[in-house]
Amino acid sequence: MKEFNYTITDEIGIHARPAGMLVKEAGNYPAKITITCNGKSADAKRLMALMTLGVKHGDIVTVQVEGEQEEETMAAMEHFFQTNL
Amino acid sequence: MKDKIFGVLQRVGRSFMLPIALLPVAGLLLGIGGSFTNETMLESYGLLNVMGPGTVPNALFLIMNDAGNIIFGNLPLIFAMGVAIGMAKNEKAVAALAAAIAFFVMHASIGAMISLNGGTENMLSGATTSVVGITSLQMGVFGGIIVGLGVAALHNRFYKIELPQVLSFFGGTRFVPIICTLVYVIVGIAMFYIWPPIQSGIYAVGNLVLKSGYAGTWVYGFMERLLIPFGLHHVFYLPFWQTGVGGTLEVAGQVIEGAQNIFFAQLSDPTVEHFAVSATRFMSGKFPLMIFGLPGAALAMYRCAKPEKKKVVGGLLLSAALTSMLTGITEPLEFTFLFVAPVLYLIHCVFAGLAYMLMHICGVGVGMTFSGGLIDMFLFGILQGNKKTSWIWIVIVGIGYFVVYYFLFSFLIKKFDFKTPGRDDGEETKLYTRKDVEAKKNGTNSNTKSGNNDELSQMICAGLGGKKNISTVDCCATRLRCDVFEANKVNDALLKSTGASGVIHKGQGVQIIYGPKVAVIKSNLEEYLETAPDEETGFDVAESDSEEKNETTGTKLVKTIVIASPVDGIAADITTAPDEGFAGKMMGDGAVIEPLNNMICAPVNGEVSFVFPTKHAIGLKSEDGIEMLLHIGIDTVKLNGEGFEVFVEEGAKIKKGDILMKIDLDYVKEHAPSIVSPILCTELENNEKIRLLKTGNIKTGEDLYAVDIYE
Repeated sequence: MKEFNYTITDEIGIHARPAGMLVKEAGNYPAKITITCNGKSADAKRLMALMTLGVKHGDIVTVQVEGEQEEETMAAMEHFFQTNL
Repeated sequence: MKDKIFGVLQRVGRSFMLPIALLPVAGLLLGIGGSFTNETMLESYGLLNVMGPGTVPNALFLIMNDAGNIIFGNLPLIFAMGVAIGMAKNEKAVAALAAAIAFFVMHASIGAMISLNGGTENMLSGATTSVVGITSLQMGVFGGIIVGLGVAALHNRFYKIELPQVLSFFGGTRFVPIICTLVYVIVGIAMFYIWPPIQSGIYAVGNLVLKSGYAGTWVYGFMERLLIPFGLHHVFYLPFWQTGVGGTLEVAGQVIEGAQNIFFAQLSDPTVEHFAVSATRFMSGKFPLMIFGLPGAALAMYRCAKPEKKKVVGGLLLSAALTSMLTGITEPLEFTFLFVAPVLYLIHCVFAGLAYMLMHICGVGVGMTFSGGLIDMFLFGILQGNKKTSWIWIVIVGIGYFVVYYFLFSFLIKKFDFKTPGRDDGEETKLYTRKDVEAKKNGTNSNTKSGNNDELSQMICAGLGGKKNISTVDCCATRLRCDVFEANKVNDALLKSTGASGVIHKGQGVQIIYGPKVAVIKSNLEEYLETAPDEETGFDVAESDSEEKNETTGTKLVKTIVIASPVDGIAADITTAPDEGFAGKMMGDGAVIEPLNNMICAPVNGEVSFVFPTKHAIGLKSEDGIEMLLHIGIDTVKLNGEGFEVFVEEGAKIKKGDILMKIDLDYVKEHAPSIVSPILCTELENNEKIRLLKTGNIKTGEDLYAVDIYE
């Protein structure tokens, strides 16, 4: 299992559109990807779960990757967060 | 045309039921109060010391007496409001208020006209009376019904009226009492001129009936019974009970009109020696018929049933017979033979007329509040003493009736092989038990699982052609009375299998006879209809149309979940969303709506899974497990909550139609790129497909799209 922390720089946090993009991105990888923020965790492949987190600007999220192609998935996730969030 | 008249009469008839349902209670108060304050009665039972005048029980009974009396005294007003409530299509509370206002206004106008024209001295004697303290024309319950029907008509026409901007405060339902006031000033003035001739006419009819003697009584009883299958008996007997048609009599110095009114006036008048038979002839006949005759018929049917079916049939007949005996509600019993052997019913009607006539001949003076069961007989017959009522004749004639009904029914059933309950091998006359119903249901494709487990209501709904086909639902003492839009969608057999003892279906009016438990069935059905998804025409669709649906996809459609529109607006395909993300179905599939009003309501039953911190989006999980996102406007996350007011919180249980949030349309339109709102299902599996049901104008609660789930 691998994980990284990321501080959200996007002004409005994870709302519908970025959540949708994240789900799409996460869906490309077989590994289980979990986003944790403010004590709540969500499956990155489920839009509703992600939105339930209510991630805002300045929040620190923890991204965990577990399963096949961990390295590759980690890199993709890090890249996604940096460019989009 | 004929069917339309039937529909209207049916509605009038059932609108009487609300005030009529009050009568037993009022009668109970008056009956008990009146009997135990009657000094003659107390004296004859030696109770004068215990509860004579001046004692505490006497005071209590006097209060009861007056409490019951005031209801009978003000029946016109009660009917005005009751009829208005019954006939109004919507916003019934406003109709009730308007009816009360119109009633006062009409009588006040009449009163003013009377004093302008020289006061009561210039009127015919007995033509005027005091109505709620106003000296007005003696219009009886007719006055109330005129108000009730008129107000309901005005209400149905105007309760949605839109007035010009400056007057808009007075629009909608507020306009109803206003227009009713104005109209009934005019009605009142008109009545001053119109009513007296009508009054003479009514008295003439009343005289005719009175003079017709015993034969007239027979005709009355025969007609009343004959109208029961059509549910129009309330319309028939009420004028006799409540207006001059049933005669007028001076009681304790006051002119009273209407058979029932006369009886109750006499009941509270201690000087009466024997109740006026000229009045009770319209009532007493019910007692031997209901307490003795019909149970005799029930026994005959039981004895004629096949041995193996006796147990089931016995329970049914016993409860129906007891209902008839105790409360005087006869329909459950009558309908067990009405449909399978109309000849028996006709004979029953002849005997009904005869019962009234015999009571008339024997001079029986027992009145009633509602119908002729043991309760009424005890209160108004036995308790009043044989001297005043001659109630003993009810028992004597009654025993004869029991014997005659038993032997006549047994003979006829066997002779003509009538298929009364328990005599038929086929299913036609069988009363389905709950088990049958469920077995039948499980056999069909159960695509109707909506989390609403009220199967009975579900079946009734399906039998009436589905929720969309039902226009109104109401009930009287024993039957569910519905109006439908398309008569040919009604499935009588299915309705019958819901435990009804009969179904009457005339044009758009449908009556399903259940017996006294109908009130509960009605409430359940109404509750069910409120939350029921529209697609639940379930039963027959599942049987006949499922193959057709299969063809379209190749795989089998297992279930369809319908999502309603959360708001009034303009619906369109999701791909038209003014945002690439939504249009590309990145967040999920569904539809978009451009809201035209500001209330966002729950599109399904379920639970709130989250409210986004900036309030512009709400996540829901339907009770079928569909995850939904209501995203109001595009890029509205940037408004930071401005313009949105959310009424629910995470975890809240919601029902379809519950208000979830209020939006400031103008603010959002001005500050966000678009108000167009995606209504999405976010976590659809590959076998779950969206099928858009409506585009263009759509109302809150209307079907927006379906989620088809394939195997």
